[in-house]
Amino acid sequence: MKRLTIQRALALTAAALLVATPVLVRTQASAAAEMSEGVLCDTDPNQTFSLTARDGYISTPDGNSIYMWSYSNSKRGFQLPGPTLCVESGRQVTVILHNSLPEATSIVFPGQQGVKANGNPAQPQFDSGGSLTSLVQTAAATDGSVTYTFTAGSPGSYLYETGTDVDKQLQMGLYGALVVRPAGHPNQVNDRADSAFANGKEYVYLLSEVDPDVHLAVERNQPVDVNASKSRYFMINGRSMPDTLAPNNAPWLPGQPYGALVHIKPYDAVTNPLPATIHYLNAGSVNYPFHPHGSDERVINRDGHALQGGSGEDLSYLKYDLDVGPGQTLDVLMDWRDVEHWNATTNPIPTQLPAITDQLLVGSDTWFSESGYLGTKNAVPSNLTQNNECGEYYHIAHSHALEQATNYGAAFGGMMTVFRIDPPAGCVSQ
Amino acid sequence: MAAGAALGGRLLTTSTVMAAPGRTAAVAKSSAAATHPVKQVHLAGTDGWVGMPGDAPPDPPFFPDPLAPSPFNTYVFGFRDVTGMTSNLVAAQRGKAQISAPMMAFDEEDDIYLTLTNLGLAQRPDLFDGHTLHWHGFVNAIPLFDGVPELSLAVPIGRDLTYFYRPHDAGTYMYHCHFEDVEHVQMGMTGMVFVRPAQNRTPLHPGERYAYNDGDGSTAYDREFAFMITELWSAAHYRDAHIQVNDWTDYDPSFWLLNGRAYPDTTAPNGDPLSTAAGRLQYQPISSLIRCNAGDRVLLRMSNLGYQNHVMTVDNIDLTVVAKDAALLKGRDGTTNYLTSNAVEVGPGESRDAIFVAPGPGEYLLYDRKYSYLDNGGGAGYGGMMTKIVVGAPGTYPAQTAANA
Repeated sequence: MKRLTIQRALALTAAALLVATPVLVRTQASAAAEMSEGVLCDTDPNQTFSLTARDGYISTPDGNSIYMWSYSNSKRGFQLPGPTLCVESGRQVTVILHNSLPEATSIVFPGQQGVKANGNPAQPQFDSGGSLTSLVQTAAATDGSVTYTFTAGSPGSYLYETGTDVDKQLQMGLYGALVVRPAGHPNQVNDRADSAFANGKEYVYLLSEVDPDVHLAVERNQPVDVNASKSRYFMINGRSMPDTLAPNNAPWLPGQPYGALVHIKPYDAVTNPLPATIHYLNAGSVNYPFHPHGSDERVINRDGHALQGGSGEDLSYLKYDLDVGPGQTLDVLMDWRDVEHWNATTNPIPTQLPAITDQLLVGSDTWFSESGYLGTKNAVPSNLTQNNECGEYYHIAHSHALEQATNYGAAFGGMMTVFRIDPPAGCVSQ
Repeated sequence: MAAGAALGGRLLTTSTVMAAPGRTAAVAKSSAAATHPVKQVHLAGTDGWVGMPGDAPPDPPFFPDPLAPSPFNTYVFGFRDVTGMTSNLVAAQRGKAQISAPMMAFDEEDDIYLTLTNLGLAQRPDLFDGHTLHWHGFVNAIPLFDGVPELSLAVPIGRDLTYFYRPHDAGTYMYHCHFEDVEHVQMGMTGMVFVRPAQNRTPLHPGERYAYNDGDGSTAYDREFAFMITELWSAAHYRDAHIQVNDWTDYDPSFWLLNGRAYPDTTAPNGDPLSTAAGRLQYQPISSLIRCNAGDRVLLRMSNLGYQNHVMTVDNIDLTVVAKDAALLKGRDGTTNYLTSNAVEVGPGESRDAIFVAPGPGEYLLYDRKYSYLDNGGGAGYGGMMTKIVVGAPGTYPAQTAANA
């Protein structure tokens, strides 16, 4: 019953006008400079990364500003989530953690091999009384540092996240995505040839939640009761709908550089044969059952491991809802197939499309083209904001634990984004 | 039996459905219609009152709702099957929503014309909420028929819209209203839809029915039972009836439901929402009681449109999960990966198809292993997300005529 007005300009048009660029060779410097779609990787020839745990603020679509802790590239400012680190399977990775927070923090690397901290095996830390103080060696408060090394695990996606005071620090935002690529096959999800994805069509969906009361207490240096926590914001890559639709590095979201708009064309055996890939990671404390409309997604990896039998049998499966548990990751392949090929003259849609005056809109924004035909866009009254550019299709994708699809309880927000499907010939703007 | 059937709120059988006026278009539109049989269904969206178990403890002011007319206690939104009704009779269904929504079944490659009429809300004439149909999990959907009002269309009060679907993939799906979905789904606008496989037309053994195009008969079944899994948060329903607003992030359910009913109502027989004989359950017509003969292969279709994960379990019977989310568990190279278990987790928005072979005669319970979901409103005794599997000696129950019969 609640009416929603989308307050923020979405800049979808600006995003669409940029030509999609391959993501795999993107450098840190160029990543910061451009507005784009798809995964923004931090890469390094020596696979050595310098991260700083620091504080900053994010904004939410309902106008809130929330104090966060997060990892950042040491040469850049605050960002949520931490940088997406892209590395090659089987090679050594070095992550130097600098800490500017007022308490000790750390990073655990689930799924990696031979993890060491300052050259010693990574292991739980105990105080003199025998109480566990951290899952792994820490960087001391304020100005400490620690160097972690490991061998990148099997190809797939992984979380990296705090191992210290985990209830509180994870809630505060200390998490990021690690994408491990198969050696020699950067356009595959894993070592199987059937995991190939289209160039540039790679997306990371790092899912998380925020209880603003915890963040306010930390900001004010007050006691925190994480057991009484109640999440009010649910995010993809540190953003809630509709900010999820904004491009990477949108200037109005300075601390939230990663978008979540999937932008593809329909499957075609000749011109567009390869699927996109989405890496789902759950950095939160509850399941996120993520439901993309309009297409199944093929789960080919779980928790960094290919779904296959001992002799290479394919054990992948199709899903219309990706239920990602806390700490879990899923890597999927997805495309969208225009099976009916509706065409206004040769294959018309067999039902009556009502005039827009006979429709009911929610809010003043629409993404609908006012046409069922891919590539056809019809006019809307001037009091509406028409986000459709050239008759492209939009399918929503959102958590189906529907209280997570809200911004502090207000619908059409939260853990939600859209998949944009352009006409086969591309989007020729009108 | 393989013919598609729209199982309405009255749980119509295949033959009844096909005979009902308006169900099947009399005239084929073109030669293509020969391979695409035309099916027509008419649903109405409105509000109404239903009955949670009356012995659940009061939770003032939310439950029972003091506005509820006897014998009901809970305000809902829902869909009604109005196929074949005159326009006057359709209009008369305003304020008579049912939960769960009518179960629907179609065949692969049917041409489905699904008209949704928005009757408005009898209890809340101040609200001008639209309604839509979102066929959840439908692959290859185009936004026009996907029911997300921000990305397509919604149906205003007093109007209707005909959706068109041509399903190509067998399996267990759901449908729900996507207009302000957090509210309308919780309020009860949720139902199940099955797509029956083309393999039914060329059975491996005469008369056999299948859940999927398995190629080997491994999804053959004798009886099918379907469960719409939801939760009901009394406070949210009360607030909707009383012109108050929810913070959905405070979500805290009071009742846990199978097909819109809490145990022991789950085991009551199927009803007819046009008949007052069912009393408190008049607008909750779909039974969850499983009755079968020893040795029967029983198909369980489970779909979750609640907001919580549920682990459904049954003691003394193994369940073999053959499909998740309307996709047979078979790899691209044909490797079968069915999972035999005694516990089947279904997350929000997910579905599962599980088959079991009925053991010897007796009674078995099917229930959510989260015991705290097995009461009604926090009251004493068993309730919530639980039903019975009643197994008779071979020949006890005649061949099934419709799902959940």
